[in-house]
Amino acid sequence: MTLKVGIDVGGTFTDFLLVRDDAEPQIFKTLSTPKDPSIGLVNGLTDIATSLGQTLEELAPSIDTIVHGTTVTTNATLTRTGAKTGLLTTEGVRDALEMRRGIREEQYNNRYTNVPPLVPRYLRRPVKGRLDRIGRETAALEMADVEAAIDIFKEEAVDAIAICFMNSFANPAHEKAAAELVAKAMPDAYLTVSAELLPSIRFYNRVSSTVLNSYNGPKLKAYLDALQARLQDIGFAGVLLIMQSNGGVVLPETAKEAAAMTLLSGPAAGPVAGLGYAEAHGQRNCLTVDMGGTSFDAAMVIDGVPTTATEGEINRYRIALPMLDIVTIGAGGGSIGWIDEGGLLRMGPQSAGADPGPVCYGQGGENPACTDADLVLGYLSPGYFAGGRMKLDVDAARKAIDEKLAKPLGMTVEEAALGMYRVINNNMAQGVREITIKRGLDPREFPMVVAGGAGPNHACMIGQELEIPFLLVPRESSIFCAAGMLMSDLKHDFVRSYVGRIDEANWDGLNGLINGMKAEGDVLLENENIPQDQRRYVLRLDCRYAKQYHEVTMEAPLDAVAAGDGEAIKNLFHGEHNRLYGYSLEDVGTHVEIINVRVQCIGITDKPEYSQETYAGADPAAAQKGERKIIVPETGDWATVPVYDGHNTKYGYQIKGPAIIEQENTSILVTASYDCVCDQYGSFAVYQKGREELVKPILEAA
Amino acid sequence: MSKIEIDQILLSVFARAFKSITDEMSISVEQTARSPILCEAKDFVTGLYDGEGNMLEQTENLPILAFSLAPVCKYIIKYFEGDFKPGDVIFHNDVFSMGNQNNDVAVFRPIFFEDKLVAWTAVKGHQADIGGNVAGGYNPNATEVWQEGLRIPPVKVYDGGTFRKDVWDLIFANIRFDIVAEDMRAQMGATNIGARRVVTLLEKYGMEVFEPHKLALFDATKKMMQAEIAKIPNGNYSGEGYVYYDGKNIGSKYTIRVDIAVTDDAISFDYSKTDGRTNGFVNGTYTSSASATALTFLQMVNPDIPHNEGMLEPLEIIIPEGTILNAGYPAATTFGNHLCPPNADAIQRALGPVIPDRVTAGWNNLLSSLTTGRDEEKDDDYVDIFFMGMKGGAGAMQGTDGYDHIGMIDASGGVLDQDYEMFEQQTPHTLIQHEYLTDSAGPGQWRGGIGTVTKYRIGSEDTQLVTFGDGDFEPAFGLFGGGKGTLNIIKLTKPDGEEMIPLNKDLITGVPKGTLYYQEAGGGGGLGDPKKRDQEKVRDELRNELISKETAQTIYGLDD
Repeated sequence: MTLKVGIDVGGTFTDFLLVRDDAEPQIFKTLSTPKDPSIGLVNGLTDIATSLGQTLEELAPSIDTIVHGTTVTTNATLTRTGAKTGLLTTEGVRDALEMRRGIREEQYNNRYTNVPPLVPRYLRRPVKGRLDRIGRETAALEMADVEAAIDIFKEEAVDAIAICFMNSFANPAHEKAAAELVAKAMPDAYLTVSAELLPSIRFYNRVSSTVLNSYNGPKLKAYLDALQARLQDIGFAGVLLIMQSNGGVVLPETAKEAAAMTLLSGPAAGPVAGLGYAEAHGQRNCLTVDMGGTSFDAAMVIDGVPTTATEGEINRYRIALPMLDIVTIGAGGGSIGWIDEGGLLRMGPQSAGADPGPVCYGQGGENPACTDADLVLGYLSPGYFAGGRMKLDVDAARKAIDEKLAKPLGMTVEEAALGMYRVINNNMAQGVREITIKRGLDPREFPMVVAGGAGPNHACMIGQELEIPFLLVPRESSIFCAAGMLMSDLKHDFVRSYVGRIDEANWDGLNGLINGMKAEGDVLLENENIPQDQRRYVLRLDCRYAKQYHEVTMEAPLDAVAAGDGEAIKNLFHGEHNRLYGYSLEDVGTHVEIINVRVQCIGITDKPEYSQETYAGADPAAAQKGERKIIVPETGDWATVPVYDGHNTKYGYQIKGPAIIEQENTSILVTASYDCVCDQYGSFAVYQKGREELVKPILEAA
Repeated sequence: MSKIEIDQILLSVFARAFKSITDEMSISVEQTARSPILCEAKDFVTGLYDGEGNMLEQTENLPILAFSLAPVCKYIIKYFEGDFKPGDVIFHNDVFSMGNQNNDVAVFRPIFFEDKLVAWTAVKGHQADIGGNVAGGYNPNATEVWQEGLRIPPVKVYDGGTFRKDVWDLIFANIRFDIVAEDMRAQMGATNIGARRVVTLLEKYGMEVFEPHKLALFDATKKMMQAEIAKIPNGNYSGEGYVYYDGKNIGSKYTIRVDIAVTDDAISFDYSKTDGRTNGFVNGTYTSSASATALTFLQMVNPDIPHNEGMLEPLEIIIPEGTILNAGYPAATTFGNHLCPPNADAIQRALGPVIPDRVTAGWNNLLSSLTTGRDEEKDDDYVDIFFMGMKGGAGAMQGTDGYDHIGMIDASGGVLDQDYEMFEQQTPHTLIQHEYLTDSAGPGQWRGGIGTVTKYRIGSEDTQLVTFGDGDFEPAFGLFGGGKGTLNIIKLTKPDGEEMIPLNKDLITGVPKGTLYYQEAGGGGGLGDPKKRDQEKVRDELRNELISKETAQTIYGLDD
């Protein structure tokens, strides 16, 4: 029997999905412990053991694999609470990091300010020594400058150091020499060397990525060290894998070295999970939204592949490492309601988080949060939150909303709570607009897969705002990313520079580079216990026309390169260039050059399989557990609506909105504009009233 | 045809789809162009227009270029009397038919749907060369347009999909560098990308839905702009900005004078009292000058107003021919784009007392340079506009420090520094320093943006260097008690130790390899009494050597 656990540590909750060969997947949730997230993680494992009738010490050794996503680095970057970092860089260019090439993203907004640099100027230390554009030394590295910088770093108690010198992509010698000295003098400091992290041209991309890595490194390393120690203490002897921003997983030791690759570790599993559920409805495209306690993430899957970027920004900090394209905004169950200077009701981005949490948790929270509003409006059951393990205090929530919002706004408590609900839904709809409309996509054409503990209570109204006709709430929606983590493969990305024309290619040399990267990947996959037949290698070439300065990264067949078939590769490039940029230079006869060779080594992991249910008829009466008064969001009036037990719904059940479907860890509000039908995997297919054709196969399954 | 109802969601889908189309066209040029002016600095704009040439959306990396595209589009439609076929591609740069600068060459592509001309895509970019007397295009000695470059009135280089080799060869036989032809191909490709996206959009929604939504979008945008103008008190306001040296007469100075009239929800900018044209190349065209006015005013209103035809409707801009801002045929006008900073100064000064929380203090004026020559090691020609050296600080605003190292107000942070390593790949030069310049920001409760100091070693023998700009006589002005920024400087030190300071519009040939190029781009003007500045900020900037100890103590009154 194998036992796998997906663990997603969020700002408010830590989610678990437990998958065994011999039983249905099980969901667990526990409050996060932001000061040391590994505590919450072990608390959750303890809960799981208890529910299985075991002790933690009995459970832990039986776990084969833990796949883990963390927001440690994300939060550190967003809140600028990463390590005190020093930068060693070539004399004369120490301000590149802060200047950001002189961009102001909002050209017409004179109130728009620059982001504070992650390394302040006085910790950006210049070093003499210079390499020219092809890596020839024109001035020797001045070791005294490195030593002087180290003295300052020590005096300032710097925890992390980044090294990035001009033209090091062409020759890493100076960076290596400086790194050796730093490592010797400050062995405990977290060190990132630019040519190792990102051996490619463009100084600003490299210096910014390198700094992001060092800035986040100490926190991630400390966290993973603590986690590994805790897991060892409780007897875990399986494989721990960490989710990376590119949607793949790696061993903790690899993750610690490339901290910047975990900036989207938490949400990166979302699109993969979303696709799994959407595919059950014959969809290769989907929009995934995940509303947790603190943040809301939106992402897209197009033609079966999550959309990605090789360059992007995190909080306006440049990062040139591969990652999924995910929009994150500060909206969650913990988002606090407040009144701005203009007298308008606002929600978030400040969050009550897990501690103290919303007022209704009774843990000392004083500011009314989104969860308080949901409770007052009747969308949450005070006695069945977290399966009844946590009692919610409606009176306290009402009182807080009344005092902080309703009275100042001259409203009733219900009006203020509904206002909070509408404002936050609007904010989230804006996030969906970012990932769809801003990229020229119509959100109405994509099924919206809804996740996160708070998501299903809000999804219909986000859908209504954007006229999205079809929503899918997976049975595991509350721990969506944890589920996605167990569906993710191991991925290791390698890149080598190879500059030359395809017509004059040294095919042996090229294949040598490729085989070298495959061999490096094999070592890692071997450590990860991936058998040979579960390994895949994807070759990508960065190509361009002669004298262009940007490359097209395209997938190329390994056998074409092995056979030295230059024509095939050139034709691929002409086609890709035309598709992307509207023209090719095939007729002009311009040379095609290769600049970089990339190999992605993939270890296919075993995916959890979900069993299909048998059709149980359309009548949901068997799952109804009662009724409750709620405020119907479309009308703002109280109405009594049926409440269904989401653990007893069966394939085929049709639930008419307005209604509430309660699960242990989440609650789905089907508003008056939508109806719902349960699919064969236990997911809830929510569709606009009158649009039965969207769920025809289920409705006709009888 | 039944009346189509306006769908609010669809309206924003269209608005965003237009934006994503012009953004994608912009990325396409950035990724494929050869000249660093385009692929590194993004000195180009992309746009989408309806069948009549009305602006639907633009990506305005350099706004000064942007507001001359729609007028050219309309001119082209009239010029060919509607004779367009699918597969046509039209070039244009002519400054006497609504172009803004000779080097800024545009590609226009008509888009057909169901056999009807429904839209246009366009890309205008600053070309590495446009013929004329001086490589790279800035000829400070020019007195008429023919000395500046090749004029391209509307011309089809593809006619119904057929390549016109004769026309193509005529154009490129008059231009120095091969990469210009390649870059025009990149621009054509981008217009093709835009055209594909437009057709996909129309296939999905149909013209009968598209048309009324387009009109609704124009209308909504116009109302947003009118609402912004209505916030400015009615009245007449005047301001001046100054141009120093016309490239011909040492010590010459010209005044740009604007009379602004606000009447409820309309605003007019009248430049009738502006000085007459120069006999050199320091002259504007109507479109470059009107662009300058529009982009300055747009910074004083809600920045979220969409950029389409409706936005500019409530603005009236009067620039009589014969003034320095609209010189008329056949004047030399290459410097015209760079009359934006003094024009912006005039507008900020005029409106400062009326809307004190929406104007800024003076921005650093542009002083730029361009080198051309032979990269011996690569055995190739190069052209480089030195963007990284020219970007000084923005003016401060009430409540906000000026943006550091942003550069000329006509780009407002849309044009970027060359990446340092790309600069060394694309030229034979070696970068020595590019850093913030201590004490350059105009002091104030809200300080001006910080300027920069830049040094590089010239790497080719017999280099030609052109300077063009201003800001070495008058620094960026302070407002409401704030101090002024610092001046611009360019200085050359030859290998034999000889120093020379070029004029702000100058052509220097035969610069030897090994010459040290030194440039300071000044800081922006400050706003409000420096003594009222948050002392924590002062201490922080002192620690980071952005201000000196002396400035901290004497100007900001830091007592520890």
